[in-house]
Amino acid sequence: MKILVCVKQVPDMESRFKPDGSGTWFEEADLAFRMNEYDEYAVEQAVQLKEQLGNEPEVTVLSIGPDRVNEAIKKALAMGCDRGAHIQDPAPQGKDPWQIASIITQFAQGEGFDLIFTGMQSQDRGSAQVGVLVAELLGFACATTLVGFAYADGVITAKRELEGGIKGIAKLRLPAVVTCQLGLNIPRYPTLPNIMKAKKKEILAIPVADLLKEEAVASTARFYPPARKGGGIVLEGDVGNLVEQLYGILKEKTTVLR
Amino acid sequence: MNGNLLNGGEFLLADTAGMEIFSPEEFTAEQKQIAETTEEFMKKEVFPNIDRIEDKDFGFVVEKMRQCADLGLFLAEVPEEYGGLELEKTTNMLMIEKVAPAASFNMAFSGHTGIGILPMVYYGTPDQKERYLGKLSSGEWIGAYALTEPDCGSDPLSSRTTAVLSDDGRHYILNGTKQFITNSAFADLFTVFAKIDGKHFSAFLVEKGYEGFSVGAEEKKMGLKGSSTTQLVLDNVRVPVENLLGEAGKGHKIAFNVLNVGRLKVATSTLGMAKGAFAEAASYATERKQFGKPIGTFGAIQEKLADMVAAIYASETVVYRVAGLLDSRLATLERDGDDYYERYQRAIEEYAAECAIAKVFCSEQLDMVVDEAVQIHGGYGYISEYAVERYYRDSRIQRIFEGTNEINRILIPTMLLRKADNNGSTLWELVRKAQAGVATETACTGEFAMAAASIARLKQLFLTVLGAAAPAKEHQEVMLAVADMIIAIFALESAVLRADKTIAAASMSKQDLLRAVVTVLVFELSNRFQSAATRCCAYALKGEELIELLKRVATLTACPAEGLLVAKHKLADAAKDVGRYSL
Repeated sequence: MKILVCVKQVPDMESRFKPDGSGTWFEEADLAFRMNEYDEYAVEQAVQLKEQLGNEPEVTVLSIGPDRVNEAIKKALAMGCDRGAHIQDPAPQGKDPWQIASIITQFAQGEGFDLIFTGMQSQDRGSAQVGVLVAELLGFACATTLVGFAYADGVITAKRELEGGIKGIAKLRLPAVVTCQLGLNIPRYPTLPNIMKAKKKEILAIPVADLLKEEAVASTARFYPPARKGGGIVLEGDVGNLVEQLYGILKEKTTVLR
Repeated sequence: MNGNLLNGGEFLLADTAGMEIFSPEEFTAEQKQIAETTEEFMKKEVFPNIDRIEDKDFGFVVEKMRQCADLGLFLAEVPEEYGGLELEKTTNMLMIEKVAPAASFNMAFSGHTGIGILPMVYYGTPDQKERYLGKLSSGEWIGAYALTEPDCGSDPLSSRTTAVLSDDGRHYILNGTKQFITNSAFADLFTVFAKIDGKHFSAFLVEKGYEGFSVGAEEKKMGLKGSSTTQLVLDNVRVPVENLLGEAGKGHKIAFNVLNVGRLKVATSTLGMAKGAFAEAASYATERKQFGKPIGTFGAIQEKLADMVAAIYASETVVYRVAGLLDSRLATLERDGDDYYERYQRAIEEYAAECAIAKVFCSEQLDMVVDEAVQIHGGYGYISEYAVERYYRDSRIQRIFEGTNEINRILIPTMLLRKADNNGSTLWELVRKAQAGVATETACTGEFAMAAASIARLKQLFLTVLGAAAPAKEHQEVMLAVADMIIAIFALESAVLRADKTIAAASMSKQDLLRAVVTVLVFELSNRFQSAATRCCAYALKGEELIELLKRVATLTACPAEGLLVAKHKLADAAKDVGRYSL
């Protein structure tokens, strides 16, 4: 079995973001980058499947971006992936999800993957498009927002998180794409010995121009901070009165009590 | 390898231009990942449970220590043939920095991986390593180190613990009391120092299960309350002769050699703690409002934040410069041969003065940082619910660990002078030149040429004052003042070298901050140097000579520091913006 995991490197979400000069993205200088949280679930699940199958599957981890994304690739290798593919792109933020998906598809077509793991979405752009687009372009089955994963005899049993807290079970035959959600697993810490061993694993370097065949279908018009909201409401009075006020607010302004 | 790797202490005699330093901006992807694994572990498993640790739940501490072992965090300095990783010192320091904000847990961690394991790594026989090293690096056993005694602290060779060979020649029988032993409540193996026949200072590997070995009650401490510290009582403890560590009578080598890197590790711990305390202060300064606005907008608080940032930048630079020096020298060693660790020790000893400088400088920066962090919190800083209260208490001992800062200060010029005596007369030649008024030039150009010129003047002045004060060197007060001059030069030079090395690749806003931090440090450290030089002159000289030299001190340390206020505002604003140290 050949498995692909797609990971993105995103800024630390605790950073303070400012629009950049172009006004269509945020200023990246001086931000700390790390692997997209959802992609960590994807890597973990891929490695768990590899272990379940007696280490037979080969797991490739792919990331698109400038040189710094090698850090995310190396983390995935230290978690247990076998080889990396760095699609070299100095400015991936300028590409829309369609282009990103088509780049991944171009890479995947030559490789013959049976199963592709992605995060449910990225923490920075949050489009949640790339996984499903890759599935469509490759003609693979697809299940999104996985909170449970089981594999046996060529069939994936995927537990999906649906709207309103409902869960759904889907069964997929390989080849397939699955996108991973919070709660699917607890990603392992890369251990120090594995971090050092991962240094020897292969990382392919492929210029993005070799794989990019598509024009963008969407563009970012503007990136700006949200309008400042007024401060919170401070309720005053005795406890009974506070409860009534709070009850009123919850009933009128939220869906909690409907 | 760079071609101009300086010997220990040589930074004082050489031009800053062309000096290579390792700076944290150069960490590799692997080093960053190791830091991330350590930091994530601490964030998820340890920091949320600080209260449990501070309440001395040692079962929990041991559980977390075992998890550290599972992640390989104990392997940094273990030889490869025993499953270790033999990582660079820079990597090792990076790990310690991440553990350090949980200062009590760091005692368990660093006590185990440092003084717990290293004596065996350096001096253990293959049989001893076979028996114990695997258990220690896997966390199955925890290690500890027992040197201090109730009446023997700064002078460890005055130890009263004795070892006597049994009649059958199979055991050493140990008797005595050891004091302030870290990890003792849960440690399984202790490196215990004792004098064979009351004369030959030696080290022994003592298992906690040996008959006659007992652990005293927990000390009630000012800080590090979650760290186990007790007496050990050795009452006719029979230690197999195979557990003599190193040669009989050579215990001083073991005791002192682990101290060099130990000092750098204390420096690193204080760096990590300073960053932790600073994050508390910076975020509090943006949240707390008085007179209708966040207190961090007031100059009184901004000044504190800026000084703290500059102190942390200098500490960080010093720690990784020294770690980088050690790595560069260790990288030149042939790995093969039985004498590897002997050569390894010598390589580290070369920078014993630098390790001591780092320990003194960084631990005192931490004291300033925690003090101001409490001050920024106002009355809340005195309340235990706020983390700064703990940082404040945990800081104080760092100036006492691994040799008090006074002992370390005296070591710094002592080692330098000893080297000068051994290596011919370069130092004294330079002293004579400086005294004759030959101005020290620097070939430094570029952005920080002015700062480098300041450093060159400080070096010249140092040599001049040293020459004048040398006849009074038997006074410790004089040596302490000389040490302060050396420390100021090393810290300032490190910061300028790092800023110079990294500014070209930095973003515009970062470049601004680097200029600001250099402005603040040139001002601050020149002033500290000036104070020490003046003190040194006053102690050692009199009459015309004193007056003349003080004039030179005043002239050569003068530092216009234009733009100091703007520089501090920039540092403070940037720190408030991210809510932590991020230079």
